[in-house]
Amino acid sequence: MDMKRSYFEDVRLFGSAAQVVWFLVLLAALFLFPFLAGPYYVYVVSYAAINVLVALGLNLLVGYTGQISLGHAGFFGIGAYATVLLMNKAALPLLLALLLASLIAAFFGFLLGLPALRLEGPYLAIATLGFGLTIEIIFEKWEFFGGSTGPPVPDFPIHFASGLSTDQNIYFLVIPLTLAGTIAARNLVRSRVGRAFVAVRDSDIAASCMGVSLMYYKTLAFAVSAFFTGLAGGLFAFHLGQIDPTTFNLMLSIIFLAMVVVGGTASILGSVMGAVLLSVLNLKLKGLQLADFAAIPVIGRSVADFLGAFFMETGMANIRFIVYGLIMVLIMIIEPLGLYGFWIRTKIYWKTWPF
Amino acid sequence: MAARKRLLSLALAGVLVLLAGLAQAEVPLGVTDTEIHIAQWGPQTGPAAPWGGVARGTGVFFQMINDEGGINGRKIVYHMFDDQYNPANTKAGVKELQEKEPGIFAWASGVGTSPGLAVRDYLMENGVPWVGPASASLHWITPPQKYLFAVYPLYFDEAQVLVRYLVEKKGMKKLAVLYASDDYGKNGLDGVHKEMDRLKMKAVIEVAVGRADRDLKSHIMKLKESGAEAVLMWVNPTHAVIALKTAAAMKYEPQWVSSSTLSDAPLMMQMSGGLWKNIIYTNFIELPDSQTPLIKKYKAAFDKYAQKGERFGVFFLAGFGFVEPMVEGFKRTPKDAFTRDNFVKAMESIKDYKGIMGKISFGPDKRQGQREVFVAQTDETGTKVKQLSEWMAPD
Amino acid sequence: MDSLLGLVQIFVGGLTVGSAYSLIALAMVIIYKTSEVLNFAQGDMAMAATFFAFSLLATLGLPFYAALPAALLFAVLIGLGAEFLFLRRAKEPNLLGLIIITLGLEMIIFGLASWKWGADPKDLPFPVSPWDTIQIGGLIVSYLELLTVATAVVVAAGLFLFFRYSKLGVAMKATQLNRNVARLMGIRTRRILLSAWGLSAGIGALAGLLIAPGGTVDPYMMWDPMMKGFASAVLGGMTSLPGAALGGCILGVVENLFGFYVSTEFKSVVPFAIIVIVLCLKPSGLLARHYVRKV
Repeated sequence: MDMKRSYFEDVRLFGSAAQVVWFLVLLAALFLFPFLAGPYYVYVVSYAAINVLVALGLNLLVGYTGQISLGHAGFFGIGAYATVLLMNKAALPLLLALLLASLIAAFFGFLLGLPALRLEGPYLAIATLGFGLTIEIIFEKWEFFGGSTGPPVPDFPIHFASGLSTDQNIYFLVIPLTLAGTIAARNLVRSRVGRAFVAVRDSDIAASCMGVSLMYYKTLAFAVSAFFTGLAGGLFAFHLGQIDPTTFNLMLSIIFLAMVVVGGTASILGSVMGAVLLSVLNLKLKGLQLADFAAIPVIGRSVADFLGAFFMETGMANIRFIVYGLIMVLIMIIEPLGLYGFWIRTKIYWKTWPF
Repeated sequence: MAARKRLLSLALAGVLVLLAGLAQAEVPLGVTDTEIHIAQWGPQTGPAAPWGGVARGTGVFFQMINDEGGINGRKIVYHMFDDQYNPANTKAGVKELQEKEPGIFAWASGVGTSPGLAVRDYLMENGVPWVGPASASLHWITPPQKYLFAVYPLYFDEAQVLVRYLVEKKGMKKLAVLYASDDYGKNGLDGVHKEMDRLKMKAVIEVAVGRADRDLKSHIMKLKESGAEAVLMWVNPTHAVIALKTAAAMKYEPQWVSSSTLSDAPLMMQMSGGLWKNIIYTNFIELPDSQTPLIKKYKAAFDKYAQKGERFGVFFLAGFGFVEPMVEGFKRTPKDAFTRDNFVKAMESIKDYKGIMGKISFGPDKRQGQREVFVAQTDETGTKVKQLSEWMAPD
Repeated sequence: MDSLLGLVQIFVGGLTVGSAYSLIALAMVIIYKTSEVLNFAQGDMAMAATFFAFSLLATLGLPFYAALPAALLFAVLIGLGAEFLFLRRAKEPNLLGLIIITLGLEMIIFGLASWKWGADPKDLPFPVSPWDTIQIGGLIVSYLELLTVATAVVVAAGLFLFFRYSKLGVAMKATQLNRNVARLMGIRTRRILLSAWGLSAGIGALAGLLIAPGGTVDPYMMWDPMMKGFASAVLGGMTSLPGAALGGCILGVVENLFGFYVSTEFKSVVPFAIIVIVLCLKPSGLLARHYVRKV
């Protein structure tokens, strides 16, 4: 369907003039958005964008290189803590601190990638799980990291223009970084490195026979993935305004992984969609009450009564876990390619209509 | 091709979201001629869910106030959401409620130090009052904030009162501390140290408990080996129960002493399978089964409005107690000039207010409302609680 | 107190706690042995069964000899349901997909259990009291601890014999080695997988029921034990049942010795440190043989 006739066509960023136009429309929309929407929506979009960065990084590792990571909350946390501590203790400016923090996270990614060379499948999953949990414990115990309430996060120092609120300032840092990250990820995937990743995923022994250095590319995959995630972590610290060790727990790693898998492994668009969907769901399911169930037409009343009788009314918010779990499970059962798979199917359906 | 589709979808998404938002410059006031909007977050699910009762208690309290005619003709409209004790959720929820019309006038209570810290700066920057955070952290009052009024007595203060009582009234000499290795536990430990320094004593041993630990055998062994007469517990209810059970299995029976977080005696009794006997602990609020008129009134409200399965326990009552000063502040705010700054002035005028908690006082620079607690003890059956001391403050 | 006695007391304490970890590890290894899946839902399946038992015992007031089999049956049904409804239907059973399914299952079970029974921790009425003890020399051991150790030993021995000598056990091993060839040999792999999940869930429930009386019954009760069970399985070898049992005991003892002599605050680091060391030195664990995958 999307046949490329030359290498240049495959890697070029914009396929046609129409694409460039749409991209500019997107840029304009993103630019105007914070002036037209309320601060809460700006906050939500920034939150989704940060998750997009993480999903991109994780997808590079999991989808394209075929590794597994159950400990990405660790890199997220390293990025957050490193950024804040560099600013607090070494008085570095924000952007430099972000960059250094991401590099530190990438370094840890490299370290985690080393055992990945020896471990396969479930053992790698366990190793990354152990990594994530260890990082959480270190943050909590070591006084250098501010103990259990975490270090104080400085005020967001960048003011793009006078009269902008903090939310808007953060938005204007997060969105360009996310856009840049998306384009970078997309280019990486289309390049030689990306092809090496895919080769490692599909058959690492065959790849190494063909000259793809496993050591180099596996550790690179971990490092790049950790870089993205660390950057997102640094941004998150300012977005939330407060960091503490309990945020970077196993549940967060699982949610990151869910974003990647639900959106679609090995797909940039999939990462974006998965991250946006799960971020928004996370925020929307919070305030669900029994009354909302009753509002469903026809069966609403009886559903609400049943739920009220069988379940404890005060535990209504647990539905968030159930919905998350259901989405994860159903995606794997119905459409393993995730949201991207649905998207492709819809596209094919429309393109091949009326057949 | 995929790139084009990706960009298209992003653009579409951007446009849609654009259309969905509203423009707002300042946070809305949350007050109309007939309504005052108050909100609270609470851990209805997640690891801190047993404290979810606080938010629900406040809801019943407001319903009772509304029944009595409201505040000078205005009814209180109460909003509550579940933040799962996750600061990111807390902040998102607070922003959402605060910025959507009609907004929130002030925030009531709210469980958790970390969730509270995530929203403190946001609320203070926007000049939104917050009364009675349901955690006794030093972060609320150091430095004192204009719009933040803390009620819950500090763990730091509580610890001093407790140690003083044990040493002076009970004549104990060998005290040990079992503390959670987080802010709460360490605040308590600091308070113990301060009082012990004053009394020229040292704790026999101090044992830390990790957050997710379920096996406390080594901790109890250390306590037993130290020969302590009393063990002060600054841990969460689950750890306390496991500690008591493990100690019972090891035939170690010191005088167990605890902070007010474990003051829900019926709950602790039921959780521990009957071990919660003769425990000495501090309370910051009247006991739920006391017969004072206010408690009876609140119990009636509970009977009328509480959800099925709710218990009239300490945390539920705390939802009343933390918010009593706020309602008093509302009553003192002039009806026709119901602004946030006037509310702050009204709060500052509160001196020695007594509801179901201890005496609460605020002032122009004073933001820690309550500093006194009283000591109580459960009896042999664990069901009756005996008040051992009057309300005491550390200094 | 005599410090040798203290050492022995802690050692024994670690062994009893380790027995509970062994049970969980055994449950995880059974599933791993047959379908090469890391079952992250293990802990919460056990938690749900324990809550179910609590309802039967406390709310309905059933006697224990009725509630125990009912709870085990409940767990087995959950395990069977998980395999039949979810894992079997996975269209692309690569490792990541299966892990996601077990994680999703874990969330669903957690959400349902937490919703149904609420978040207030509860106490499980258990016939063997956790604080009735017997004294052997200066050593104090509770009846519950003895029961836990005994159960672990019986289950471990039973499983070992089962897998080595019974037809079903050998069939399970064959299914893990190569599912298609096992099918060709006439083994009904679908049934094998079902039974493996049911069995594993049942053993997990046993572990939950033995852990609960000494602590509380609440939605998070099995998270920590599950991680420790995991670590034990890694230590002993994910495909070795005696390894899982041994791993649990070693982990329990090391952890408690560390907690007593070094630091209680960092006690929770021990399982992860063990995982790291094992994965660096001998990833397949202490007692398992490492099967090299042929390309």
